[in-house]
Amino acid sequence: MTLPAICIKDLEKSYNGTRALDGVSLEIGDGQFFGLLGPNGAGKTTTINILSGLVLKDRGKTEVFGMDTVKDYRTTRSKIGIAAQELPQDWFFPIETLLYFQAGYYGITRKKAEPNVERLLKRLGLTGKKEARLRQLSGGMKRRYQLAKALVHDPKIVILDEPTAGVDVEFRHDMWKLFRELHGDGKTILLTTHYIEEAEMLCEDIGIIDEGKIIARGKPKDLTKQSGTAGITIQLTGWDGTMKSAVNEFTYTIDGNRLHFTVEDPEESLPEIINFLSKKGCHIQSIKTEKTSLEDVFLSLTGRGIKENTGS
Amino acid sequence: MNWVGMWTLTKREVGRFFSVYRQTVLPGLITTTLYILIFGFTLQKRITEIDGFPEISYTLFILPGLIMMNTLTNASSNSSSSMLQMKLLQQLPDILCAPLSSFEISMAYIIGGAVRGFVNGVLVLLLGILLVEMPVVSPIQALVFLFIVSWAFSSMGLFLGQMADSWDKLATMQNFFLTPLSFLGGIFYSVQMLPNWAQTLSFINPIYYMINGIRYTILGVSDSPPEISFIMAIIMTILFTCAAVLLMKSGKKIKS
Repeated sequence: MTLPAICIKDLEKSYNGTRALDGVSLEIGDGQFFGLLGPNGAGKTTTINILSGLVLKDRGKTEVFGMDTVKDYRTTRSKIGIAAQELPQDWFFPIETLLYFQAGYYGITRKKAEPNVERLLKRLGLTGKKEARLRQLSGGMKRRYQLAKALVHDPKIVILDEPTAGVDVEFRHDMWKLFRELHGDGKTILLTTHYIEEAEMLCEDIGIIDEGKIIARGKPKDLTKQSGTAGITIQLTGWDGTMKSAVNEFTYTIDGNRLHFTVEDPEESLPEIINFLSKKGCHIQSIKTEKTSLEDVFLSLTGRGIKENTGS
Repeated sequence: MNWVGMWTLTKREVGRFFSVYRQTVLPGLITTTLYILIFGFTLQKRITEIDGFPEISYTLFILPGLIMMNTLTNASSNSSSSMLQMKLLQQLPDILCAPLSSFEISMAYIIGGAVRGFVNGVLVLLLGILLVEMPVVSPIQALVFLFIVSWAFSSMGLFLGQMADSWDKLATMQNFFLTPLSFLGGIFYSVQMLPNWAQTLSFINPIYYMINGIRYTILGVSDSPPEISFIMAIIMTILFTCAAVLLMKSGKKIKS
């Protein structure tokens, strides 16, 4: 039996009486691209900080490949690389030296770390900046450095905490490409984000967290299907009231010459509906699909949007 | 043990203060030179004899105290400021997420501070030899004592750095406790010159024993027995090291 890469059971944590995690349980398979989606302050960062040893938990259990992250911290921490949301500052050393330090903390000598450091500097476009101090880098460059730092010891699990927060579109797309490459290399990826598009595009599996609890879990497609609010609106001519019985196999509403079909997956149902209406001699003037996003799922579960919360 | 990890963090700590030597090494030398020039060469003419030590000039008398003050302030400020800086600049997570034990992290910080304290102490000692031909009666003992005190105060600094969450709180410890205790520990005077009540107060000041310990190893004279100074330094080393490591292990103030 393959052990899950990450296993979290009944995790609880409070800060000064405020409950940040309220019994989070989560299992992430080896090699999975998992997204932890939720608004700011939902408990995403606290969860990963406990997993990586940065924060002490109040209760619960966290395991990495079956090993306890507290008792077997040396092994579990070696398997995790974390690109934190908060960008660090350093006035003293060039970023190349900082990467060698980071490798050293994981027990890797400079000589052994050299090929990986050079490869990462090149892949992340930092070779020309390797002598620069962190304070001299732009926000995007600092994010790249964060990623290089997370990968310098070649971890099996990569935790990306809001890795594209506050960066431009080009950088975001480049990062997405890199994340896919890492996933392709067999790494388990735990991505926390409040960007819906990012989670939908990249993740095989999603956990939605709100107020310290996992409120939904599944593949993005399955989660949006469960919400059941997707629709197709078709405006047409040639609609005849006698056709009503023929479209009974669909759930729909009529508003003049506009038909609104409620479907689970618009992409799947659209060809069938078009085919049916064409056969009945209807002329389609316009088609509008309203695909359910994870934002809708969150909305239907909590009654508010993911980006409405602006707390820390 | 993650030896490579501990060694890397130690290198980082030592490299950090050497990279800003104008701020961490040179000030001690400049201040001591000024002390020698102002206190020594000018006041020495008026202070012809220190009570109890008629054979020692005033400049020579104050030099061991200056060496000790440089040593302990540098040792404590290195580990405390480095720890607080890493907390405030989000560098600490890099270390806390790594497979390093609390003991290994503490040792790296303590060694970093101890090296800075020791280097500063030795440089001021060399300055004394160069400027006023200061004799060093027991060089090995002086170096060993400097290193023990550096370790003790570096451990204390690490403890304070973990406890502090702002520069203001850290500066309070430095300005309201360490500096006054150093000055009241007998750098510029012999306790025999003080009234009885002040002498009694000096005996409960641990820095008094540090200053007299180094004075004994350099000049061969001191207000307190050298054995007491060594024992005090060793007790402080053990106590502060244990306190710093245990606080790190508990995660309080750094892993909340």
